[in-house]
Amino acid sequence: MSKLRQAAEAVADQAKGQILAHVEIAASPERVFQALASKEVCDWWVRPGVFNTTEWSGDVRVGGRYRTKGIARGKPYAIEGEFLEIDPPRKLVMTWQRAGASDQPTVITFTLEKLDGGTRLMLRHTGFTSAENLTNVAAGWKTSLDKLASAGGG
Amino acid sequence: MARATLSTDVFRAIADPTRRAILDRLRAGPANAGALAADFRSSRPAVSRHLRVLRNARLVIDTRVGRERLYAVDPVPLQQVAGWLEGYRLFWLDSLNRLKRNLEDT
Repeated sequence: MSKLRQAAEAVADQAKGQILAHVEIAASPERVFQALASKEVCDWWVRPGVFNTTEWSGDVRVGGRYRTKGIARGKPYAIEGEFLEIDPPRKLVMTWQRAGASDQPTVITFTLEKLDGGTRLMLRHTGFTSAENLTNVAAGWKTSLDKLASAGGG
Repeated sequence: MARATLSTDVFRAIADPTRRAILDRLRAGPANAGALAADFRSSRPAVSRHLRVLRNARLVIDTRVGRERLYAVDPVPLQQVAGWLEGYRLFWLDSLNRLKRNLEDT
């Protein structure tokens, strides 16, 4: 397949507390879907020198959970979540939170659209500025969120 | 990222939907409490209470013009909130580009 030219774009929607992102990939939706919920996560949740995902394990069914481990800025971190919707190769919805945190998890929705010669992968990561989340931050849970945020690079 | 410097007052202030709406309204231009109360079909004391919370969080600045007090947005703390989300934005930007590279190289 020839390369699709569109590189990833991502915006932070502050008002709604969400991240919206998309990328075009010269690979089939089936192939892209496979990389979203498998050990392949270790190959792309990576930013050299900033964070590195080293382990992924998961029970890929609705209600099943996944867990990742890695190193962010020299410190170990773990992310975990639950699969809410699995509709290969079109849609995957899962929660995401720092392992062991009791705050409300955020939600990631991947949507895949077949293109001529590839796939458009769209991502929506929601739940960042819900009143509950913000109140938790105000209550002094900023440290744990900071750790999660630095796990996210930047 | 600027998140570490965020005051908890800012998060408390923007956790309320009416206050977020007032901030959106003030982005369009400064206004006094009376005009805001009319815009939001709210009582003037209720709007004044919201404005006090926003002012204490330094999200709005007030200026006395003659006999009235005009409120305007101070953009700096809101940019810090955006900075908190910025880490996640960069995470996905980098990760999706890496996914693209991985799948296209094989």
